[in-house]
Amino acid sequence: MLKFIARRLLFLPIVMLGVTMLLFGALQFLSPAMRASLYVKDPRQLSALNEVILKYGLNKPMPVQYWIWLKQVLHGNLGYSETAKMPVAVAIRAFFPATFELTLVSFIPILLIGIYFGTLSAVKKDKLLDQTTRIVAITGYSLPSFVLGLFLLMIFYGHFQIFPPGRYSLNVDLLVHSSRFHHYTGLLTLDALLNGDFAAAGDILAHLVLPATTLIYISVALLLRITRSSMLEELGKDYVRTARAKGLPESVVVKKHARKNALIPVVTLSSLLFIGLLSGVVITETIFDFPGIGRWSVIAAQQLDVPGVMGATLLSAFLFVVANMISDMLYAFVDPRIRLN
Amino acid sequence: MNQRTACRLFPVLLLALVSCARKPVQQAVFDPSTYTELTFNDSDSMDPAWSYDTASDEVILNIYEPLFMFKGSSTKELVPLIAAKVPTRANGLISADGKTYTIPIRRDVTFQDGTPMTMADVRYSILRFILQDRDAGPSPLLLEPLTGYGGTRDSNGKIVPGIFKKAEKSVQIQGWDLVLHLPRPFSPLPTILASWAPIVSKEWAIKHGDWDGTEATWKKYNNPQKQTSPFFEHAFGTGPFVLVRWDRNTHEIVMRRNEHYWRAPAKLKYVIIKGIDEFETRKLMLEAGEADSIYADREVWEQVQNTPHVQIIDDLPTLEVNPIVFFTFKLDGTGNPFIGSGKLDGQGIPLDFFNDINVRKAFAYAFDYKDYINEVLNGKGIQPTGVVPKGLLGYNPNQKIYSYDPQKAVYYFKKAFGGQVWKNGFKFTAVYNAGNIPRQSLLQVLKHNIEALNPRFNIEVRPMDWPEFLDSYISSKLPIFILAWQADYPDAYDFTFPLLDSQGAYPGPQHFADPRLDKLIDAAVAQTDPAKREKMYWRIQELEYEDVPNLPVLQPLDYRTQRDWVQGWVNNPIFPDSPYGCYYYPVYKKLPAPPRKPKHA
Repeated sequence: MLKFIARRLLFLPIVMLGVTMLLFGALQFLSPAMRASLYVKDPRQLSALNEVILKYGLNKPMPVQYWIWLKQVLHGNLGYSETAKMPVAVAIRAFFPATFELTLVSFIPILLIGIYFGTLSAVKKDKLLDQTTRIVAITGYSLPSFVLGLFLLMIFYGHFQIFPPGRYSLNVDLLVHSSRFHHYTGLLTLDALLNGDFAAAGDILAHLVLPATTLIYISVALLLRITRSSMLEELGKDYVRTARAKGLPESVVVKKHARKNALIPVVTLSSLLFIGLLSGVVITETIFDFPGIGRWSVIAAQQLDVPGVMGATLLSAFLFVVANMISDMLYAFVDPRIRLN
Repeated sequence: MNQRTACRLFPVLLLALVSCARKPVQQAVFDPSTYTELTFNDSDSMDPAWSYDTASDEVILNIYEPLFMFKGSSTKELVPLIAAKVPTRANGLISADGKTYTIPIRRDVTFQDGTPMTMADVRYSILRFILQDRDAGPSPLLLEPLTGYGGTRDSNGKIVPGIFKKAEKSVQIQGWDLVLHLPRPFSPLPTILASWAPIVSKEWAIKHGDWDGTEATWKKYNNPQKQTSPFFEHAFGTGPFVLVRWDRNTHEIVMRRNEHYWRAPAKLKYVIIKGIDEFETRKLMLEAGEADSIYADREVWEQVQNTPHVQIIDDLPTLEVNPIVFFTFKLDGTGNPFIGSGKLDGQGIPLDFFNDINVRKAFAYAFDYKDYINEVLNGKGIQPTGVVPKGLLGYNPNQKIYSYDPQKAVYYFKKAFGGQVWKNGFKFTAVYNAGNIPRQSLLQVLKHNIEALNPRFNIEVRPMDWPEFLDSYISSKLPIFILAWQADYPDAYDFTFPLLDSQGAYPGPQHFADPRLDKLIDAAVAQTDPAKREKMYWRIQELEYEDVPNLPVLQPLDYRTQRDWVQGWVNNPIFPDSPYGCYYYPVYKKLPAPPRKPKHA
């Protein structure tokens, strides 16, 4: 196992280097003036366009620019993100905990609901529950997240005045930035609880409810359907028939035998879902004014903020490799026949 | 605790936490001490010498103070702020030759910690503003009048020899007087000093690692990296508010009332300016009372109408000309995708297509200005009479303007290129910045009207993202392009130079030059007699009408969306981000009185 982890971790820098080289290569198609647009946003600044290109070395050959960037990275400096208005490393530290918190709050219910109802749908195939979950899955699939997000916001915040957008309200804003609030983990709900402030924790949680609900509704559909189809396949296999013939209770057949085997595609999908959520959910973060990494990385990409884009890409590559490694390890756990070596 | 108990406890705990959270939200509904403004853009820097964007400038307006201030909503009348008097010829504080300004400074001004402001701070602030001179920054606005130079570096990025000495000599102090020596008269100087170069603390700056004010070190602080300055994210000013926090994570700026303010303290205790990209979210927060005013552009005007407790203040004047259609006189043909065949063969345009004045005039007569303003923009604006907007000295209401006249358009098209344009037709691509609906509509109206004149005329309209636009703009590849100009300071020079002078921001890539205009613009800025100056700007706009280098289409009227409990707001179109942005000193919140019940006899 350790050998497997070490091999995967050794692979990490190569993946990251490859991804960043690809990105820099793609940027070669953009002219210096296009990349200068990051610094020249107002028509009043147009006359200084050439000076900006010179100052930031945007007219240098792309390999030279890549080498300069890489040297910085090797010295532990990821550069300065113009869109985040802070160094890239600081930006990642600032935005990632919010996304991580939202991911945790969404991903656990996604897993629980997806696997539980997916299993139940398979067991009660074509019954009312199966039909209901099918409708939920189809609407979840087809509903754009901005429509659902705005709809939830209008009902719960616009009408009932609960579950506001943002990450916290003004009182909590002042609290979390004061010296008496200790940031232990970066996860504000947990930090508020550790600080003993339950009202603040409740406020932060209330701000998480709608974005998390949107993500759960949109993402659970896929997991639900995959679990259902995988379960149906397993339930039709000979070993299940044998288990039933042996007189094992149905719950044991379903939970201990069939479901465990049905989980392999679910693990793959879950890890991809997890990476997707961790890399940021742009529309949900935008609608709910949630300061996460997704919103930042998209703004960085739109405005050709090269250090910002590279930083976000490095993070995504890192998450991808690590999440894949964990999912491979989980395969071995759910199916002992799989050997990591 | 078994699994089942945990499952039952979880929703109970969740509900309990959420019910705790409802309290702060409800309290936020009416809080007279805190003002929340929701905008869509984020600040760039809190450094007054760096900032050249409206979002940052709005914060700076409330934290720092310049020498003068505009009186109420006037863009012409100045009142002293840090200065004790506004220099005029009448009070003798502007010398007879217009080259020396003596500005008495108040002695009772304090910084936010209560330490008194000194004359060294005043001089340091102005020198720092002009000598920092970052690329694409605001320094040239003041550097030019004080030194005669448009920048501290030449085109190769080398420091101009002797520029420090020139700057130092031009900004002098004599007791409590600031004396500015100009190389030549420069009439807009007081209005520039009312908008830029506010006072910072020299002591605070040096203590936090900024320039020490000496010649030996200034080059190190010239054209710096933005984030290296202590002023980038911290502030130390004399203004009515103090910067508590600029949270780039949540796009939020928190300002607190300056309790050491040298005038009476502001009525609001906190001001929060928060960037929220999504309009619907901003609107919902306004409705819930969590926001006191929001940014809402003309396209969503109908959506904010008739919202309970929300006040719409409409028809507010602006100091901008937006949009303006620019013609490129000499196009770059290298790999140019916008000019078709590059010949006048009906499948393209030649590189000098718009160099022919008949083509430009034909385009000018082919656009229906009135219809565009009334139908597309609901009548919210006026057709400018030139590049100088209404509200500034130099605006001439009687100046001739182009109006929709298809017969004249045909006449000029027939004259263009010796009749070849009419006979062969043309084809080119016109672009607008993606997402800008009014500009898209403008080009579609122009396309429709021109193509209706002759079936051989063809204009393709397409959107373009800002980076791509910049690339095409700088290399003079766009046959026509649409942009705008808003005032840096309220003076006609700020419009005529960038839009009409051959050294200006637009005429460069347009390859437009009229020596008569250059000479007049130069003379007008040095003219100190307002009556003579006004005449000069009228003449400039007559020449603009003759040359048709561009078509100023609209001076828009804006509107503001705020809660009905907001009181004391004053609109001044020169304030940054006006009317959405705000000078918060006079603003307060008060619940409107309930409507009176009619008395019964």
